[in-house]
Amino acid sequence: MPTTPQTSATILVIDDSPDIHRLMGARLRSEGWTILGASSGEEGIECAIAAPPNLIILDIDMPELDGFETLRRLKINPATLPVPVIVVSANTAPQDKVMGLELGAVDYVAKPFDFSELRARIRAALRTQRLLDMLAKRAHIDGLTGLWNRAHFDARFHELAAGAQRAGQPLSLAMCDLDRFKSINDTFGHPAGDVILQRFAEILSSIVRESDVACRFGGEEFVVILPGAIPEQAAEVMERVRAELREQRWTRHPERAVTASFGVAPVDERGAEAALAAADAALYVAKSSGRNRVVISGERAALRQAG
Amino acid sequence: MAERDNEALRSIYRDDPEMAELIELFVGELPERVRALREFFDAGDLASLQRLAHQLRGASGGYGFEPLGFRAEQLESALKADADAEVVRKRVDELIALCSRVAA
Ligand SMILES: [Mg+2]
Repeated sequence: MPTTPQTSATILVIDDSPDIHRLMGARLRSEGWTILGASSGEEGIECAIAAPPNLIILDIDMPELDGFETLRRLKINPATLPVPVIVVSANTAPQDKVMGLELGAVDYVAKPFDFSELRARIRAALRTQRLLDMLAKRAHIDGLTGLWNRAHFDARFHELAAGAQRAGQPLSLAMCDLDRFKSINDTFGHPAGDVILQRFAEILSSIVRESDVACRFGGEEFVVILPGAIPEQAAEVMERVRAELREQRWTRHPERAVTASFGVAPVDERGAEAALAAADAALYVAKSSGRNRVVISGERAALRQAG
Repeated sequence: MAERDNEALRSIYRDDPEMAELIELFVGELPERVRALREFFDAGDLASLQRLAHQLRGASGGYGFEPLGFRAEQLESALKADADAEVVRKRVDELIALCSRVAA
């Protein structure tokens, strides 16, 4: 992969020496990085939590909170845990290097440092971090459709459900399932099925709002988390998805339309799991009452019969 | 490290445009540091003296004055090792003598 310069990177320097801040500013500026400074461990931690930088350069020898303790605290906070830390110290004893690395630093540079070496080490750390971020993101993306995957849904849904409860905001969940998908696969082949899954994902992405989380739940099943939406609003969004899918013309099987069924439920004080079960039950009602329709949990299927 | 007694000590980065301004700042502030070194030593405030030596040791190399970093390190080591007052005085004097030779 190409090594594009990380011009937008923000680097936080935590060091009690004003000289080091001056030198870092002068020596790292040419890379296009934004250099922030903190003169104590406490100030550095506060700074890093408020706005996590892309990298931290941390001095070990500081009065009060030393670098090791600062590092320990950075690594127990979820906000700062992923930020790579390069430890710098005038103390080159092996046990100090071991301690720094064991506590979660990605590198250890001895003071006084050669700035071209430090720059190269920063570049290397930023490069590795970019790859890690990419892998972490990829682990949450469905390969076929590009939507979020089941793992991402599981992680985000409980988080959003708890957040909505705390904030007293509505939140809805929509389950979608393509109708008679197995029969289409069997008749027209798996490539045709894949095209349908991909097209449906595109439709879903183009219609849901920016804040909605659209995921492939598995097979031909999809799920959308809609923050801020009451079930009626969520059903309206899904109704547009339903209509758009029904209107698609398919080059592999022009004679065969594809439809989907939808079940919508509010996520309320009964909790995330109950909402998931309710949306699934509503989806079942949509299926058993003729498919190609959107059903809200608890609502009579007949009300939302679609053409 | 051999240093001739009266020769000016110049930064190895003196031709580096990215450093010119900082070197000047460092050299301009050096008399203030020397004054502090002297005061901490005279007052017997060895903790502050060690802190100052430590900072000078860490920073001097960055400004391109490695011999200064070396002298500061000698003072820091003596203080860390709880050396005799006479040894510490000698280290302080050596460091201050070298500081007086530093030029931008
Ligand atoms: Mg320090």
